[in-house]
Amino acid sequence: MKEKLLEFKNLVTEFRTEGKTVKAVNDISFTLNKGETIGIVGESGSGKSVTSLSAMRLIPSPPGIISGGEIIFHQKNSEPVDLLSLTEEGIRKYRGNDIAMIFQEPMTSLNPVFTCGDQVLEAIMLHQNINKNDAKKLTIDLFKQVQLPDPERIYSTYPHQISGGQKQRVMIAMAMSCKPSVMIADEPTTALDVTVQKTILQLMSNLQKEHNMGIMFITHDLGVIAELADKVVVMYKGKIVEQGNVWDIFTNPKHPYTKGLLACRPPLNKRYTFLPTVSDFMKIDSSGKILDNNVSVEDFTKNLIIPDQKRKEKQDKLFTKKPILKIKNLKTYFPIRNGFFGGISSYVKAVDDISFDVYPGETLGLVGESGCGKTTTGRTILRLEEPTSGEMVYKDKDISLMNAEELRLFRKEVQIIFQDPYSSLNPRMTIGNAIMEPMQVHKILSSDKERKTRVEQLLERVSLDPAHFNRYPHEFSGGQRQRIGIARALAVNPKFIICDESVSALDVSVQAQVLNLLNELKDEFELTYIFISHDLSVVKYMSDRMVVMQDGKIEEMGDADQIYNEPKTSYTQRLIDAVPEGKTEDIKKHLEEKGVKI
Amino acid sequence: MYSYILKKILYSSLVIYGVLTVVFFLFNILPGDPARMMLDKREDSKQLELIKIKYGFDKPILHQYFYYLNDVSPLSFHETIDEKSLNYLDEKKYNFTKIYDFNHTAIVFKFPYLRTSFIKTGMPVTKIISSTFFNTFFLACASIIFALIFGVLFGVVSALAKDSFFDRFLLYFSVVGMALPSFFSSIIVAWVFGYLLHNYTGLNMYGSLYELDDYGVSNSLVLKNLILPAFTLGIRPLAVIVQLSRNSLLEVLSMDYIRTAHAKGLNKKIVIFKHALRNSLNPVITAVSGWFASLLAGAVFVEYIFAWNGLGKEIVDALNNMDLPVVMGSVLFISVIFIVINILVDIIYMLVDPRIKIE
Repeated sequence: MKEKLLEFKNLVTEFRTEGKTVKAVNDISFTLNKGETIGIVGESGSGKSVTSLSAMRLIPSPPGIISGGEIIFHQKNSEPVDLLSLTEEGIRKYRGNDIAMIFQEPMTSLNPVFTCGDQVLEAIMLHQNINKNDAKKLTIDLFKQVQLPDPERIYSTYPHQISGGQKQRVMIAMAMSCKPSVMIADEPTTALDVTVQKTILQLMSNLQKEHNMGIMFITHDLGVIAELADKVVVMYKGKIVEQGNVWDIFTNPKHPYTKGLLACRPPLNKRYTFLPTVSDFMKIDSSGKILDNNVSVEDFTKNLIIPDQKRKEKQDKLFTKKPILKIKNLKTYFPIRNGFFGGISSYVKAVDDISFDVYPGETLGLVGESGCGKTTTGRTILRLEEPTSGEMVYKDKDISLMNAEELRLFRKEVQIIFQDPYSSLNPRMTIGNAIMEPMQVHKILSSDKERKTRVEQLLERVSLDPAHFNRYPHEFSGGQRQRIGIARALAVNPKFIICDESVSALDVSVQAQVLNLLNELKDEFELTYIFISHDLSVVKYMSDRMVVMQDGKIEEMGDADQIYNEPKTSYTQRLIDAVPEGKTEDIKKHLEEKGVKI
Repeated sequence: MYSYILKKILYSSLVIYGVLTVVFFLFNILPGDPARMMLDKREDSKQLELIKIKYGFDKPILHQYFYYLNDVSPLSFHETIDEKSLNYLDEKKYNFTKIYDFNHTAIVFKFPYLRTSFIKTGMPVTKIISSTFFNTFFLACASIIFALIFGVLFGVVSALAKDSFFDRFLLYFSVVGMALPSFFSSIIVAWVFGYLLHNYTGLNMYGSLYELDDYGVSNSLVLKNLILPAFTLGIRPLAVIVQLSRNSLLEVLSMDYIRTAHAKGLNKKIVIFKHALRNSLNPVITAVSGWFASLLAGAVFVEYIFAWNGLGKEIVDALNNMDLPVVMGSVLFISVIFIVINILVDIIYMLVDPRIKIE
C-alpha cells in the first residue's frame, strides 16, 4: 500500500454568473500517492486547470466557488487536513511550502519588476526561518539544480532578459524552494518549443526522483506525459471519464475519448488520409450523453494509412510542374538603430540567404525553433516585411519589384493564416464582416448580398454555423476562431496559403480537426501551402517536402519522410527526438527505470 | 543612460530654439505697438523715437531677432566699445565670463539674458519669473502631492472594493471632479471655505504665499493661504489619478504573476502593495507628469481668483500690456520646464519598471 498524499473526494467547483451556474469540475475523486506523478489530461474547458487551482484554493472568486467535496492533504508529521476547510490564513501556510505550483505561461507568470532571484528568495524567506544571505545561497543553489546557465547572473536578471524556457526553470526553482511534497504543474510546457519542452520534462522527472515528490501534471496532450506519469486521469467536461496507470491507458484505453486523444496526434512514422479525431470514437447525443463507437485505435487507423508507393506516384507528378514560387538568396535583416541620428549599428539577420522552390499543389513545411526565421520568411514572401536582398519570383514576377496594383493582385492570390486565433481577429467586427472585408477590398462578386451568401457557404465549409454570421469573435473557442481565420483566407479564392503556426495555439484534439480541414481544402480548391511550425511532427505530417531552419539559414531541405528517416544534421535529429510521441517502448523504459512491473 | 540624457539635452536645445523663433515672430507681427503702450497716454513723438531706438524697434525685424537670439543664447558675441550698440557687453545686463576677446567683439559665456520688462521699467524678466515661479512651483507641488497621495489611496481602495458602494461613489465623484471647470470650482471653494465657513476654517478667500504684515512693513509667510488653491487645483488630477490607478491596479491584479505571488503563500497585503501596485503605476506617472508640467506653466484661473502671485497670473498681465520680453521669457522658461520634466519622467519610468531601458 502506497502512502497517500493528496486525496480529491467528490470535488465540485462551480462558476456562477448572473443566474447561470457552470459546473467546471463536477464530482471528481482521485488520489495522488507519495513519489507518484499523475497526469491529468483533457481539452480546454475540461476542468483540469480548475481542479489544480481548487487544491491551491486559487479559484478566482467571484465567480468561482468550491461548492462540494474534500481535498485531503496528508502531511509529513501531523494529522491529515482538509484543504477546503481551512481559512484563508490557514491555506497560506501550505501554498508554496507544502504544495507548490508551476503555471502555463512562463512569459507572464513572473513579476516583471523584480529580479528572478528576488522572487525565489521571497518564497524562501516567507516559509523558512533563515537569513537573507543563506536564502540567497539557497536560491543560487536551486538555480544550479534546475540547470540554469550562470546562476549568479540569472539571480540578478529581470524576467524579460531571459528566454521562455529559462523562465520556466526559474518557476520550477521557485516551486522547489521549500521542498514541497506536492508539485502541481499546469501545462508547464505548452507555451514552449518542443525542444525546450523535452528538457523541462527531463528536469521535472529528475527532480521528482531526487525529492520523492508527488506531481500533478496537467496537459492537453497525452504524448507529453507518457514518459513522466505513473497514473493518468482523463477529464472531459468536468468529469473524470477514465483513470488508471499509464501503461493501461496507453495500451488499452477503455473510454472513447481517451482513444480519440491517443489517436489524434500526427504520427511520425506513417501517413494517414486524415487524422482521427475524438468524434471518430464517440458521439454525443442530444441529451449530452456520450455514445461509444466501439472501435479500437488500431482498427481505426489501420485503414487510414497511405502506402508509400501511392505517395511517391503523387509526388513524382507534383515535381514535374514548373515551380509556382522561387526564392533565391533571400535575406531579411532588421537594423538595430542607435547613435545620435539613429544610425544603424548592426543587423539582426532574421533570414540569411535562403533559397527554395515551391511547386503548385505542394505543401512545403518550414520547421525550426522560435527565432530561427521561419515566420519572417513567410512574412517576407507576402511583403509584410521588406526583403534586404534576393529574388522572390511568383509566377514569373518578382514580388519585391511589384507595383501597388500588382501587389494587390498578388495578395489576392496569396493568403496567410496566423498563429494566434485570439488576437488576429478584430474583436469589434462580426465574423461575417471580417470574412467579407477582403472580398470587398478585392472586389470579388458584385454586391454585398452575393458576398454574404458566399461567406455563409464558407462558414459551412469550415464546419461553422452560417447563422453565426453576426456574432463576435469572443463568442467562439480557439479552434472555431482558427476556422474563421481559414474562411477569411479562403474568401478571396487564393491559390497559395501560408500557414504560420496555424495550429500551435490549439489543443491536440482540435489541432487534428484543423489539420484535416486544411488538407481537405487543399484538394478541393487546388491550393499550395507553405506550412510553418515549430513542431516537427505536425510539419512532417502535413508536408511533401520540408525545410529545416536554424538561425536564419537552411539546415536541411528535402522530402519530409526522408528527412525524418535519415536526418543529416544533429539539429534535425534534436527536433525529431523532442517530439513527445508517447511510444509504448518509451513508457516501458520509463516504468522499468522506476522499478514498476507491467 | 548619461549619453541618453546628453542626447536629450541636445535635442531639447533644438526644440527651445524653435520655440524661441516661433514666439519671437508671432509676437512681433501682432498688431499693436509696445513703444506706445509704454508711453501710455503721454503722446510724445520724440519720446517715442527714443524708446524705439533704445529697444531697437527701429531696426529691421530680422536684426531684432538676431539680437534677441544673441541675448538668450548662453554663448554669444558682444560689442565691447560702442556703448550705444544693442549688444554692448554691459555688466549691468549680463552675468558673463569672457572666453575670447577681439578688437571690438568679445565671445562670452553667460546666463541667458531675457531682457527687462517694458511695463515694470528696468525690472529684469529673469527676476520676475523667478519670483513668481517660486509661488507657482510651491502651489503645483502642493496640489500634485495632494492629488497623488489621495488619488492612489482612493484608487487602491476602490479597486479592492470593486463594485461596492464606496467604489461607485468614488467613480461618480471623480467624474464630477474631472468635469468641473477650475474657474467654477475655485469660486465655489473660495466662497464656501473662505467666506461661509471662515469662522470655522480660519482661511482667507484669497491671498498669496507671502503677504505684507498688518503694518505693511515686512513680508511674512502665510502657509494657510496655500490650502484652498492647492485643493482646488488638485481636484481634477485627483479625479484622474483615482480612475487611472483603480483601473490599472485591477488589470494588474488579473495578471498571471499575481496568481504566482498568491501561490507562493504571500498574504494579500504583500501581494497588493509589493507585487501589484508598482506594476500599476506607469499610467499614473504619465498622467501626473503631464499635469505637473502644465501646472508649473501656471494655473491662470486659480491664481487669478485666489490672487496667488504666480507665473500664470504674471503671463496674463504681461499679455494684456504687450509686455513682450516677459511673455517671451515666460514661454521659453515653460518649454524648458516641460523638457526637464520629460527627462525626469523617463528616468522615473526606468526606476519603476526595469523592462524600460533607455538607449
